[in-house]
Amino acid sequence: MNLDYTKEQELLRKSVAEFLAKECSFDHVKELEDSEQGYSPKIWKKMAQLGWMELYFPEEYGGLGDPFEDVTIILEEMGKKAFPSPFFSTVILCGMILLEGASAKQKKALLPKIASGKLIMALAQYESEGSYLPEGINMPAQLSGSHYVLNGTKMFVQDANVADKLIVAARDDKQGISLFLVDAGSSGINCKKISTIGKDNTCVLEFTDVKVPPEDLIGKPGEGWEILEKMSKKAVVAKCAEMLGGCSESIEMTTAYAKQREQYSTPIGGFQAIQHYLADMKIAFDTSLYFLQKVVWMIDSGHDTTMEGSVLKAQANEQYKFITERAVQIHGGIGTTREFNIGLFYRRAKAFEYVLGDTDYHYDKVAQAMEM
Amino acid sequence: MDFKFTKEQESFRQEIRGFVKEHLPPGHIGGIFAEETDQEAWDLAMATSKKLAKKKWLTLSWPEEHGGLGASFWDRIVMSEEISYWGIPGTGMGVSGTKWVGPSLMLFGTDEQKKKHIPPIAQGDEEGIWCTGYSEPDAGTDLASLQTQAIKVGDEYILNGQKVWTSCAHHAKWLWVICRTDPNAGKKHQGLSLFLVDMESEGLTVRPLKNFVGHHVFNELFFNDVKVPAANLVGTENNGWAHLMTALSFERGVGLGQVASCRRLFDELIHYTKETGLIDKPEIRQKLADLAVDIEAARMLTYEWAWKSAQGATVIHEPSRDKANCDVMMEKLSRVGTEILGVYSQIDVTDKDNRWTKLRGSFEHLYYYCIGMAIAAGTTDTQRNIVGQFGLQLPRAY
Repeated sequence: MNLDYTKEQELLRKSVAEFLAKECSFDHVKELEDSEQGYSPKIWKKMAQLGWMELYFPEEYGGLGDPFEDVTIILEEMGKKAFPSPFFSTVILCGMILLEGASAKQKKALLPKIASGKLIMALAQYESEGSYLPEGINMPAQLSGSHYVLNGTKMFVQDANVADKLIVAARDDKQGISLFLVDAGSSGINCKKISTIGKDNTCVLEFTDVKVPPEDLIGKPGEGWEILEKMSKKAVVAKCAEMLGGCSESIEMTTAYAKQREQYSTPIGGFQAIQHYLADMKIAFDTSLYFLQKVVWMIDSGHDTTMEGSVLKAQANEQYKFITERAVQIHGGIGTTREFNIGLFYRRAKAFEYVLGDTDYHYDKVAQAMEM
Repeated sequence: MDFKFTKEQESFRQEIRGFVKEHLPPGHIGGIFAEETDQEAWDLAMATSKKLAKKKWLTLSWPEEHGGLGASFWDRIVMSEEISYWGIPGTGMGVSGTKWVGPSLMLFGTDEQKKKHIPPIAQGDEEGIWCTGYSEPDAGTDLASLQTQAIKVGDEYILNGQKVWTSCAHHAKWLWVICRTDPNAGKKHQGLSLFLVDMESEGLTVRPLKNFVGHHVFNELFFNDVKVPAANLVGTENNGWAHLMTALSFERGVGLGQVASCRRLFDELIHYTKETGLIDKPEIRQKLADLAVDIEAARMLTYEWAWKSAQGATVIHEPSRDKANCDVMMEKLSRVGTEILGVYSQIDVTDKDNRWTKLRGSFEHLYYYCIGMAIAAGTTDTQRNIVGQFGLQLPRAY
């Protein structure tokens, strides 16, 4: 057993943390949240130069071939800084779909562009039912000659408003789910950003007669769900890394506040009730963090993580909400303000709960995996 | 034992429901601070205040000479429940002309103060909108350590300092505020006084304090040599703490309203899960049943406190017990409710353009505000301390 990160990984973590601290203060996070683009193209370019996008892509496609563990370190640090960017949409959701299901030609065309920061992508999967199941995908992709024609509405498409290309899940003529690569700027696509508690780039996409040539299918027709599942297994763990980063920062921020804030002429951190809340928060975090590390190791060692990934996401959903709710309570009134920063994490706990499956969805998956 | 309301009380309840049907938009659901968060909601509140005033329901527990009906204790309870269940707006006249400013002035205000301020409140007039200045940046839970000074000079008091969490200050005409009139008094509870302050006073600045989703409900107030006529001192100088305790006792029973508004949200959720077929899923049924138990139990608690009060018993820890219980229940209701509503509950419900918000955004609204509510009017932990000390006679722990 070895529960240490390597020296290179410690350096990676340090450099990511220092970069984000310098480039994106919490005040800047709030500015970006309130902006139409929701991210900073300037910071994005620098991230690409530092090699963050290409870290875990295979070398043959311009990547560094680093383990998945390294990219979770980047996401943890992003989580600590509540950092808004299309990194998760582009590199994790779409990047992993391409790695799992795209042709060599498609990978060669797209992955290096992602790596250089010149291509932003978004995944359009969910529809009006808000279901995470394959039954929730009903948008038709009608075959017209050799082209497919997309019509319908996709909900909760993260970063569609800043994406260059989309991956769209739809049902083809044979009623199987297929994945289509589409230019975000295609005429016939209407993109509307909706205001959410996460203050992120959550969008609604309307498709009217959008034509997709057969070479822009990702994987074989009807193979879409299988590819999405393979991506989800890893992507969900990556999201948990970001969530646990947020948990970690929430505990640190709240502990610092409790040490400094005085009432009745003494720091509130000395009151037993407050200490017990913080202890409960730390226990919740520690259990989740070590489990995250185990699941990440399982992925890099080639183990199947169907059950463990769902256990982790269900746990992270509940712990992030619990930790941030307590954190705001301990801060008292100022915790509810925009001026203070703890609210950033409270909101993200709610927003991230719904990424790649809510708790009920993952409980079902755990039960299935246990063959109940 | 008898858990029924009387026939008269039930028919009063129906009368209130008739008012709701006649004067509020169909399907209207109230929300915590809903009146403050946008102009449309505020306008509806003001219009409703005037309609309630016409029936003398705005101040129904006040004596008739002051514009009320001298209503019985239980009629007040019925009104309180119905207001919260149906979300009837405009019942506070800001924060809170009806609940504690008017009643306090009746008890220890001067004749001049009563004559000037009680009628506008009872009539639902703009001049009767109040905000309340208690907390300060360094005096939250430890309110007695407040620092804002009111020093007497001739026939005026000069106010300097800062108040925070002043909801409704951006709408109010008058401020009900506690200040330190004797900075040299022995204990921190001594040397405090209550004042009525015109919000237009020179030197008084209102600064919005936005919450983490960007809503404007609360404000900071800055006092820079604000002159207040001596006639605006309420009660006895330096006896403000005792007066404040009386005013705060009028604020009690907040749990009663909160439980009724939770019941409304829960009923809407049941309706939604039936309509969508979600109620057929076992795990949803379990969650709903669990919430139903919590809400019914909380309702019984508030009736117990209310009955004791109606008997003339002094209740000390019971309102705190109910508030602490309700704080925990509201957090659970907002969390489980948004889980049941699923991925759509992340949508910002104040974006009026969006067509996806379910149940008029009432659960999301509760999710945004329930922590603030658990902190306001005495944090959950303060309430637990009161239960421990005064309900269980345990030694003071802080």
